[in-house]
Amino acid sequence: MPRLQRVLIANRGEIAVRILRTLRETGRTSIAIFSEPDRTALHVLMADEAYPVGPGPSHESYLNMERVLETAKRVRADAIHPGYGFFAENEAFARACAQAGIVFIGPSPETIAALGDKLAARKAALAAGVPVVPGSPGPVDSREDVKRFAKEMGYPLMLKAAAGGGGKGMRVVRSDAELATAWDLTRGEARAAFGDERVFVERFIERPRHVEAQILGDATGRVAFLGERECSVQRRHQKLLEETPCPAFDDATRRAFGEAAGRVAKQVGYRSAGTVEFILDEQRRFYFLEVNTRLQVEHPVTEMVTGLDLVAEQLRVAEGDELSFGDAPPEPRGWSMEARIIAEDPARNFLPSVGVIERVRFPQGPGVRNDSGIYRGYEVPVFYDSLLSKLVVWGGDREQARRRLARALDEFVLEGPHHNLAFQAWLALHPEFAAGNLSTQFLEEHWRPDALKPGPEATNAALLAAALHERSERQRVQIGRREDARGASAWKWMNRQRGGR
Amino acid sequence: MKLWVTLEGREAEVTFRTEGDRLILEADGRHIEADFVRLPDGEVYSLLIDGRSHVVRVSPSAEGLEVGLRGSVIPVEVKHPLEKMLQAASGARAAACGETVSAPMPGVVVALRVAVGNHVQAGQAVVVVEAMKMQNELSVAHDGVVTEVLVAERAAVSAGQALIRLAPVTGGSA
Repeated sequence: MPRLQRVLIANRGEIAVRILRTLRETGRTSIAIFSEPDRTALHVLMADEAYPVGPGPSHESYLNMERVLETAKRVRADAIHPGYGFFAENEAFARACAQAGIVFIGPSPETIAALGDKLAARKAALAAGVPVVPGSPGPVDSREDVKRFAKEMGYPLMLKAAAGGGGKGMRVVRSDAELATAWDLTRGEARAAFGDERVFVERFIERPRHVEAQILGDATGRVAFLGERECSVQRRHQKLLEETPCPAFDDATRRAFGEAAGRVAKQVGYRSAGTVEFILDEQRRFYFLEVNTRLQVEHPVTEMVTGLDLVAEQLRVAEGDELSFGDAPPEPRGWSMEARIIAEDPARNFLPSVGVIERVRFPQGPGVRNDSGIYRGYEVPVFYDSLLSKLVVWGGDREQARRRLARALDEFVLEGPHHNLAFQAWLALHPEFAAGNLSTQFLEEHWRPDALKPGPEATNAALLAAALHERSERQRVQIGRREDARGASAWKWMNRQRGGR
Repeated sequence: MKLWVTLEGREAEVTFRTEGDRLILEADGRHIEADFVRLPDGEVYSLLIDGRSHVVRVSPSAEGLEVGLRGSVIPVEVKHPLEKMLQAASGARAAACGETVSAPMPGVVVALRVAVGNHVQAGQAVVVVEAMKMQNELSVAHDGVVTEVLVAERAAVSAGQALIRLAPVTGGSA
């Protein structure tokens, strides 16, 4: 019997479902928690046990530390898997678990703390001899200091608020002349947005790619590199489509990349699954960005090419075992892509959408995996993020994976809230995407909302559908009249209506 | 049967009839025929147009109909001959009626950018609604003057709820 027999999942949605699948496969008891509106969520229906933790808003339920821990203790959980988001990178929560005698499935609280501070993480990378984006060692005091820096490094530069995040308080500067106004603007924004006007300088990397390394550290200090993932296609810093391997990598780059990621992980004594994020410039030089101390949303693509179950590996590490593959990580095979299926409307500037899932049919067939938290009749709640499902495909090479993704997106039936299936299909079929020419600027460069305008065939089908709707409405009225004339009961009429549906 | 259908910004007069399982439709001088079957799952039809297979779902929406096919949703507005006449008569009045900004989805009002009496320009953001951890700026479609602010900051709103009403600008005061 596994040492960690009862595992509480401090999460919801597709990732809670993903984790409980491994718990079941490995003979463990899965314990779900849920907020009031999530009583009928899929993770609750699928778990062995489920306990309420409070009202809809996250901070009153899934982020209510006392309540979650109290529940875990009361139901005698041996361990807590935090998933991603919520408590996944919360040092205090990891510490509180340890104090309560519950195993936190993830890195140590010290590691989470050390890597949560961006400047400390950058220092750890430098100490490990891993390149970071060249920049000022700390905040800069004046415009003149920036100019000196520009003389050394050259333009373009990026001014960044020290307290910034989420794309706010950042400005590209391309010349001394631009600097004159950019300096005051950035400091003003930083003060307004974060109450902290400290600004630092970094070299601006044009058309960067976002590439990250999957690492897995065991309890003895051994760290494995399980390949990279390219996650360049983003919108407002939200990843939309991920793949492995990275189409820009050759073997030499990959080897150097894996070694660099491993050095960062060893520097901080990394345990469990984690992701070292880098940006890659157009000359394929990579620079350390940060470490995510959790299982990532996009972890399935790594599972598809390695054949590993990363949640199962996390459980082994949490139990003090070595990794399933010992010293020799499996050689990745083929190519995998993941499209995030999100409740948002691409035609209306990606406005989030909610509502009841009226119809859903997941794509099937060779090389297709769906990680999902929805089912027919389920109502997407307004309180949580808008990720509905992840469509993951495997192919022997990138072209097969890409065509398979397009095929599976076409097969996917999803009705109710607005969603981005058609957008993802546009992306999968875009010639620049097909050529692997990716950067975080991809959408700025290529996306236009009218890309999803229906063609003549679709327009004709829509016209016919509207006519058929009118016909059916008219028939309904006529049936009603006929029944009235016969003096039929209302019950009979209802029955007829239902039969016609 | 005759209808006026607005699709992708174009209005067309449509006549159609059925012969058994065939639907025959004329619009804009085009002749379209399809073999159709209604599937048992809501208002969903399988259409075969010149042998090409389409599955379409029709659902009513605030503006008319929405037709879903292949992951896309196409809004379609349908008017009957009588409605068409009524609309022509009231069109002029509607244009002078002003504008209402409504919540496009349930959420929480996080910022009100205008107050009663403010002049606003077409495209100006007037209210920010947060839903699913995303902040969404709602803007006005026409120049106008704010006549009513119907919600307060932090208020929870439902989809379609009216938030702000505007009157059209009269004279040259904007």
